Amino acid sequence: MKNDRQRTFLLITIPILALFVCFNTIPLIRGVIYSFTNFKGFGKYDWVGLRNYVDLFSDARVGKSYLFTVKLAVVTTIVVNVLSMILALGLNSKIRAKGFFRGAYFLPNILGSLVVGYIFNYFFTYILPAVADMAGITSLSTSILSSPSKAWIGVMIVCAWQAVAMNTIIYISGLQTVPEDVYEAGGLDGATGWKQFRYLTFPLIIPFFSINMVLCVKNFLMVFDQIVALTKGGPAQSTESISYLIYNNGMSGGQFGFQSANAVVFFIVIVIISVAQMKFSGSKEEQL
Amino acid sequence: MKGKRLKCLGIALCCMAAALPLQGCGDSSDKVEIEIVQYKPEAANYFKTVEDEFNASHDNIHLTISSPNDAMTILKTRFIREDYPDIIGIGGDINYSYFVDAEILADVADYEGLKEINPGYLEIAESLELVPTDGTYIVPYVANAAGILYNKDMFAEHGWQIPETWSELMQLCGEIESEGILPFYFGFKDTWTCLAPWNAMAVELSPSDTAKQVNKGLTTFTEEYRELAEKYLSLLPYGPDDPFAYGYNDACTAFARGESAMYPIGSYATPQILSVNPELNIDSFVMPAADNREERTLNSGIDLGFCVMAECENKEAAYEVLDFLLEYENMQKYIDDQNAVPCKNGDFQLASMLDGMTEFIEAGNMTDYQDHYYPSEMSVDALLQTFLLEKDVDGFLNGFDTSWQRYNRDIIRLVQEYEQNH
Amino acid sequence: MKHTSTVGKSNRVALVLLILGLSTIAFPLYLTIVIAFKQPSEMTNSISGILSLPKTWSLNNFREAMIVTDFWHSLRNSLLISVLTVGISILIHSLMGYALGRNKAHSKFYSFVYLFIVSGMFVPFAILMMPLAKQTAELGLANWVGVIILYIVFYMPMNIMLYSGYLVNIPIALEEAARVDGASTWMTYWKIIFPIMGPMHATVAVITALAVWNDVMTPLIIMAGSGENTLPLAQLNFQSQFGTNYNLAFASYLLSLIPILIFYVICQKQILNGVTNGAVK
Repeated sequence: MKNDRQRTFLLITIPILALFVCFNTIPLIRGVIYSFTNFKGFGKYDWVGLRNYVDLFSDARVGKSYLFTVKLAVVTTIVVNVLSMILALGLNSKIRAKGFFRGAYFLPNILGSLVVGYIFNYFFTYILPAVADMAGITSLSTSILSSPSKAWIGVMIVCAWQAVAMNTIIYISGLQTVPEDVYEAGGLDGATGWKQFRYLTFPLIIPFFSINMVLCVKNFLMVFDQIVALTKGGPAQSTESISYLIYNNGMSGGQFGFQSANAVVFFIVIVIISVAQMKFSGSKEEQL
Repeated sequence: MKGKRLKCLGIALCCMAAALPLQGCGDSSDKVEIEIVQYKPEAANYFKTVEDEFNASHDNIHLTISSPNDAMTILKTRFIREDYPDIIGIGGDINYSYFVDAEILADVADYEGLKEINPGYLEIAESLELVPTDGTYIVPYVANAAGILYNKDMFAEHGWQIPETWSELMQLCGEIESEGILPFYFGFKDTWTCLAPWNAMAVELSPSDTAKQVNKGLTTFTEEYRELAEKYLSLLPYGPDDPFAYGYNDACTAFARGESAMYPIGSYATPQILSVNPELNIDSFVMPAADNREERTLNSGIDLGFCVMAECENKEAAYEVLDFLLEYENMQKYIDDQNAVPCKNGDFQLASMLDGMTEFIEAGNMTDYQDHYYPSEMSVDALLQTFLLEKDVDGFLNGFDTSWQRYNRDIIRLVQEYEQNH
Repeated sequence: MKHTSTVGKSNRVALVLLILGLSTIAFPLYLTIVIAFKQPSEMTNSISGILSLPKTWSLNNFREAMIVTDFWHSLRNSLLISVLTVGISILIHSLMGYALGRNKAHSKFYSFVYLFIVSGMFVPFAILMMPLAKQTAELGLANWVGVIILYIVFYMPMNIMLYSGYLVNIPIALEEAARVDGASTWMTYWKIIFPIMGPMHATVAVITALAVWNDVMTPLIIMAGSGENTLPLAQLNFQSQFGTNYNLAFASYLLSLIPILIFYVICQKQILNGVTNGAVK
């Protein structure tokens, strides 16, 4: 019996793992090889050894993009998780027109980035300053997207606006695993509101909390679409995310080798962050 | 219940999978296949017509033209999987230089049609080569021109004259402003638009081969671009209060709605402007950046040219296609469609918004865009935007020189090796 | 009694908050619809201009957008790729999630495989693009089949994470009961575990479908030159650096939003069913 179980698990794991290695690991290795060349993306190229990696650490533009990306990712992850947790609880409670609300809150996710980009550009360029003028808030009377120190906030808002839906869905499906009787028992003990959430609901959905944290950190560290739609890295290169730089200079530009090196380092950084994150929330799970 | 649903899904999947392979069947005949990928999606309709007409009139060759968006990405991914089209339609910019250097383009010096091409544009193509290379690798098709678009009716109403020198331009801006009208509109939120006035002024203020001189180590940008940078800054006060808030599209709309008298941008912007206000009477003039009338020249470069790929198996057929594209009626149609400037000699009818530039075009007084020499990964457009925001001339010029050395290291090495050997 | 009354109150608060939050969605949606019906000549930079209703509510933009994108053909390709990707993902990823989720806590090997695959999520796509374009062409997969295979690999890490996270709350006792009855692990999985994961299938379906539906980059580099378009690829036709027809584009995006919205509405009912219905207990 035991053997059958182990054999079945292996028979499942090996072929799927092979597929994964074939279309993820092998191309990654090929990409890593390019990072030791001055390949432009076409034509002939030379081996340059570690030059790309050495350059990477002295490139102010790359450093700046790391700072921007990390700042954006941390703030957006917090904002999104707080908002989507609240939304999930709201949408999971016994309210009217639940189906309608769930559909509506899903919309930001499906609007194409051209539409989102246009509308939010319009909002930040024309509508927000006009509203701020009327309200007498001078610091907002010019477009926040035209200010190198404030543009990241605009990017953050759009990222959060789009991402909340997905995280909410994951939280909602997590809330489904919480059996009713836990609440009934909690209700008898007088646990309501915040207390009920903190001591009954939250511990049970921690696996989903950690999934959401990992997905958020990953998605926002790799932010790309919103940058293209909203700022294209401007103003004054203040919103160049790492993925944007890698794509723009590596694919559209002729820096494929150098940006491959950037991608390799970036990959290692995210893996370290995420594994640490998973280990951390894993230990939390075990405590409970 | 669950099992049933699964089964339905399974059946649906199988049906779809079975239905699909049918679509891939093409007709196989002995015709020579010629495939063109060209990078201007806005001209897709024109190329569709050309494709149809060509196929209707030629029995021996079957032509396919695709005009994808983001063609450069598509081309590069196709190159890497060695799936080369026969002909590519690209602009005369640094990508062309790279392609020549990578030896993936065929030498078309033996193509008869080259004799009718305006030699000015062949020279421009020649100078785009990183190091002088024997042969011709592009057939210039059409060019574009950048300068200043202006609202003709507004100018006529106030009796403003077209400026021919820098001081006349500054005077005109003052005059326009004193009448409560905004002289310029800028859409600097889209960084690439920062390059339009820059290029247009650069042709009169810096040598056309500045980038090459720097690569040879003969000069620096700090030296060549100082006047240019300073003059660019003095345009800013005549634009909107916060030009970095508005994108290209906003600027086109604003100019179309008469919110400014002039818009320093290329002729390519006119279709977008006219889509907002079809009634607008637009004309253009050459950006007057110098004070000496002798130094005036039009900023014009190869907007679209055709390169035969080295891998093309049937060069004869490719030439036949090029002949067709270069026929008078077809070119005229393209010019009407896109407000372009032909690279071929001949009696073409140009769009009225190019009136102010015709005299330069006819005299062959044209100079290529400086940015055609800038590697795109250096993001000179973003550097310019930063400069316009911070207004620090010295910082900008130093930064320009440092980044240039960084991003062009391989090219500089190539050029200097060539210099040593020749 | 006390219990129900507090729930009632917090539900009202929730309802008010949800309605307030809705305005952040209603406003952009209103703009999208209005712009989709306008003509380019109605576009302005003034606030009253953008908020105003279109002069006529004609469907011309939609009609023209459908022609430009070759709508039915592109839609078919998009549907085919999305449906197959979602179907195969649910089958394969749930299996893998099960194998890894049940073993990673006590086996070094499975725990390594889990981390190995999950870390694949963090590979920047840009570094894979070139090698993948080359590799798929070498394997004769520069077509929609290749695109589907790549999607299945791309979304594997996230989906496996989701499935194995969900399994934590499904007691292993359920399987043991079946094993006592003599069912093999394979049968137990399909008979008991797979159906129980219903809500997670729906979640995975929504997330995967959405990611696939809107993706431009993968079909762009893999299917380039094949002459076949997906909807997002066809929609690229609306924009170029020198001119974008926002009115047509918006109409087209509204059209392509409908199928995925319907799909979501169907799936979200599934997300709700399942575990709370008592399957686990």
